[in-house]
Amino acid sequence: MKKIFVILVVLAVAQACQTDKSMSVGPESGKGGSMARFAINGNSLYIVDNQSLHLYDISTPDTPKKGSSKSLGIGIETIYPYQNNLFIGAQDGMYIFNNTDPSNPKLITKYQHVQSCDPVVVQGNYAYVTLRSGATCRNGNGTTSSLDVVDLSDLSYPRMLHTQNMLTPYGLGVSGKFLFVCEGTHGLKTFDIRNPHLPVLLNQNTGLHAYDVIVRNPGALIVIGEKGLYQFGFDENAGELELLSQIPVQ
Amino acid sequence: MADKTTYSCLLFQPKACLYGLNKNCTIMTRIYALFFAAFFLFGCDYHDRSRLDPHFDGTAYRAVYMSNEEISTITFRTGEPLVEPGKIYLLEPFLFVNEKGRGVHIIDNSDASKPKNISFISIPGNYDMAAKGNWLYADNYTDLLTFDISDPRAVRLTNRISGAVPVRDFPPHNNVYFECPDPSKGTVVAWEKVDVSAKPKCWR
Repeated sequence: MKKIFVILVVLAVAQACQTDKSMSVGPESGKGGSMARFAINGNSLYIVDNQSLHLYDISTPDTPKKGSSKSLGIGIETIYPYQNNLFIGAQDGMYIFNNTDPSNPKLITKYQHVQSCDPVVVQGNYAYVTLRSGATCRNGNGTTSSLDVVDLSDLSYPRMLHTQNMLTPYGLGVSGKFLFVCEGTHGLKTFDIRNPHLPVLLNQNTGLHAYDVIVRNPGALIVIGEKGLYQFGFDENAGELELLSQIPVQ
Repeated sequence: MADKTTYSCLLFQPKACLYGLNKNCTIMTRIYALFFAAFFLFGCDYHDRSRLDPHFDGTAYRAVYMSNEEISTITFRTGEPLVEPGKIYLLEPFLFVNEKGRGVHIIDNSDASKPKNISFISIPGNYDMAAKGNWLYADNYTDLLTFDISDPRAVRLTNRISGAVPVRDFPPHNNVYFECPDPSKGTVVAWEKVDVSAKPKCWR
């Protein structure tokens, strides 16, 4: 009797999942890392090159159609869609677009900062930006790399709330209470952002080279670096990382 | 700042303006661009004249060319080891890992503790990708490719859009000299640092 009950429950759950799937509206797009130059939102594919944002209509997915292009500054690096906005990281700042109409993003503002390389991720009213100095990124000597927190509560007037020095930051990912920052040869840093405007370093995993990260909910991370692909599970309360698997380079 | 951007457009992209590749260039800008292009016809149109010439240390960047045939050759293989991985893209349960300048690895990530490296799409000049439903979009130097990934073990190329990602025919460094690219040799696919006896005309 108990067995039959268990089977019924399993069947019911399976059925529920099945129903859920068939009810979903259209195919889902995936999720890129913060270093991406390609992004999809609805039926729009966005590509940023060095100086422009290009749109492609993918409502007929096998044959994308060219839409508009928007000329931006020089040194465009990354694109990050979040809710109704697009955040574009450039060498001299961050462009914020209203993307309520994904076929026609409208520039709201440009948040200027010093010359550097800068991917961005967003959660709620906060943007987290890493600024990396280096020969091809930041001009001049004596500049340092940093992790900046930008207040987005008024998208027209983004303002910096906090900055802290970093070593060689690349991509980053955010999930609830935690912010993960790839520090290149210096590994992966986990920050506590329960106080969202003040990331506090929880731990630094130096056993890997980390270039970019995707937060795969719930509680899982995918990290890529020069030495390979790493996947971690993390405790959503403590933030402790547990290595699930790795595919090393050869 | 706006002036600087306009200048940058003229200085960096007079050809793009002339050919109408840069849609933001107005007719007046194109006329200016014509003058600029004429002015720099035998020189180089890459550098910002407001800066001083960089110090020449006997080295310069030299373009590495590839023929258009080589560039557009796409092949599909079974899983290959990661060598120099770049960006990543997740479309559950598949994970796409870029191999810098060489293509896309497809990983079956149904079990994150046992990811399976199932196939590799060889795409010269590939660094970026995004996917939705059964479709993967990827760059192939300046082209945008569409792949049908409904069976990730038997991927098919369905579409190519030429010139979707405009070419940047100067090295990705500031304050360097480089040999001016020669389009008749093919497409510039990389830059290598070499020792040179004379200072090249082009710098940025």
